[in-house]
Amino acid sequence: MAKAVCVAGKDARIYYFKPQILGFGILIPAFVYLSFSIGREIPFSLLVPGLVGVVSLFGASSVVAISIPIEKQTQTYELLQSAPLSTLNIIFGKCLAGSAFGILLSLITALGAVLVSAGTVVSPLLFVVAAIAGAFVFSAFGMTISAGAKDMPTANMVLTALRLPMIFISGVFVPTQSLPPQLRIVSYLTPLTYVVDALREAAMGPSMMFAVDLVVLLIWFIVFQSIAVVVLARTTGV
Amino acid sequence: MSEDFVIVASELTKQYAEILAVDHINFKVKKGEIFGFLGPNGAGKTTTIRMLTGLTKPTSGTAEISGQDCVKESLTVKQKIGVVSETSNLYNELSAWDNLTFIGGLYGVDKSTGAKRAEQLLRAFQLYERRNDHLAGYSKGMKRRVRIAAALIHDPEVLFLDEPTSGLDVQSSRIIRALLRELNKEGMTIFLTTHYIDEADQLCGRIAIIRQGRIVVDDSPEQLKLSLQGEHIVEVALSGSSSNFETFLKAESTVKEVTRQGDKYHVHTLNANSVIRRIVEFATSAKLEIINMSTSQPSLEDVFVKYTGLDAVQLERMELLRAVKVGAQRG
Repeated sequence: MAKAVCVAGKDARIYYFKPQILGFGILIPAFVYLSFSIGREIPFSLLVPGLVGVVSLFGASSVVAISIPIEKQTQTYELLQSAPLSTLNIIFGKCLAGSAFGILLSLITALGAVLVSAGTVVSPLLFVVAAIAGAFVFSAFGMTISAGAKDMPTANMVLTALRLPMIFISGVFVPTQSLPPQLRIVSYLTPLTYVVDALREAAMGPSMMFAVDLVVLLIWFIVFQSIAVVVLARTTGV
Repeated sequence: MSEDFVIVASELTKQYAEILAVDHINFKVKKGEIFGFLGPNGAGKTTTIRMLTGLTKPTSGTAEISGQDCVKESLTVKQKIGVVSETSNLYNELSAWDNLTFIGGLYGVDKSTGAKRAEQLLRAFQLYERRNDHLAGYSKGMKRRVRIAAALIHDPEVLFLDEPTSGLDVQSSRIIRALLRELNKEGMTIFLTTHYIDEADQLCGRIAIIRQGRIVVDDSPEQLKLSLQGEHIVEVALSGSSSNFETFLKAESTVKEVTRQGDKYHVHTLNANSVIRRIVEFATSAKLEIINMSTSQPSLEDVFVKYTGLDAVQLERMELLRAVKVGAQRG
């Protein structure tokens, strides 16, 4: 664990301030969200979970989406491989860096939204728990995509192609119940649906569904991490 | 495994699709030895290092470091070794100090020990004054020195270096060689690949030459030179050109091999006296002037040429390709 934290600390110092993070991780989700929400009457309970979910999705996944391809290209990934670290150690460390960035963005966004709209979150603690769970899953999601990508532009292109449609079917702007049946099925297969739902549950007052959301997110996290370990091990020859 | 041997490779093999990169090689490296691994480009040197350091899984065969299997116990093995790859793969966004302490953390070195060790190493490599500068501003030689320092931060038992002085300035190369000697004096086992045959001659206690994935010879530099015992090299340059000089030399029964380097011929022979007389006769009858003629004993480069099957032109081409590659990396 200490070694994973060491990797995370290094990634935070190097990648948080890269221009690509500002573009793919902050500006794109902000513009997408604003372009669909400005001029519409969106209640606080719908606005904040949706906005936080989108910010977390883009922020957490972008950090790993640039760190893995850059490190493969500069061969610094090999430096990590030559140290006594398992692939899982490396991946978890990188996920921690992405998650911490996602959590930070989520909390800043939520706090800003609360201050601007004077709305309230019924269960702030569970809101934070949901934000943490979401950031971990999105970071692992970004890792899964970037593990197999040959370079950074490819990783970002694939990620953006998956993240943008996810926004429209995961209950960010439109409740999933209002979606056509086929899209509703797809929405249940995206992690963003469960993150937004968990955040909404925490904002409006949690029910049993909050626990269900967390369990599904845990499963997603394990699945994404496992895929990333296999893909990275295969693409890096160890 | 005998206790004397720190590195043991047994039938080590790596197959990449159709290419057999390393072909059932066997060798042992004694504790405290500097072992040189020489061979032309693509011979299998880097693949071998990668298998020994746990960066590539062998297709078959085994490799052990201090009695532990490089695949089955790879994390334990990695804790015992330091690896310096051909490229200085460190984080340019971090300072030399931060790179070293970060890598110390990966090896479980505690903060205060890591800081002490980083200071010692940066001082030894003459980089302490610039410890807080980002690596992006370092020269290639300085980066390579930091890379070696990083590989030593956890005080490994064995140090693997892949072309440590390749493309470096004279000062950096000297500092690195001096430090490798010093580390070896302190008992560290060093496994080194290099293209610089002189470097291998100066540093290594034993040398293995690999060609097309197979070790063709494995001995001390002096023993390798002795393997060409009795052989002399006559270097001769004639004024003007004589197209049949080479044919004349090759027809001589005492001549083993003739290579041409620029305007000079290198004649490998067991009887230098006879060859010199015949050259003088040839020059006289062809009315050519002997500009230069000298004899020498075989060098390690001659051993390398003999066992790799490369001639002087190929060696020059190899060096040229290497220079272009280094230039491209820099550019």
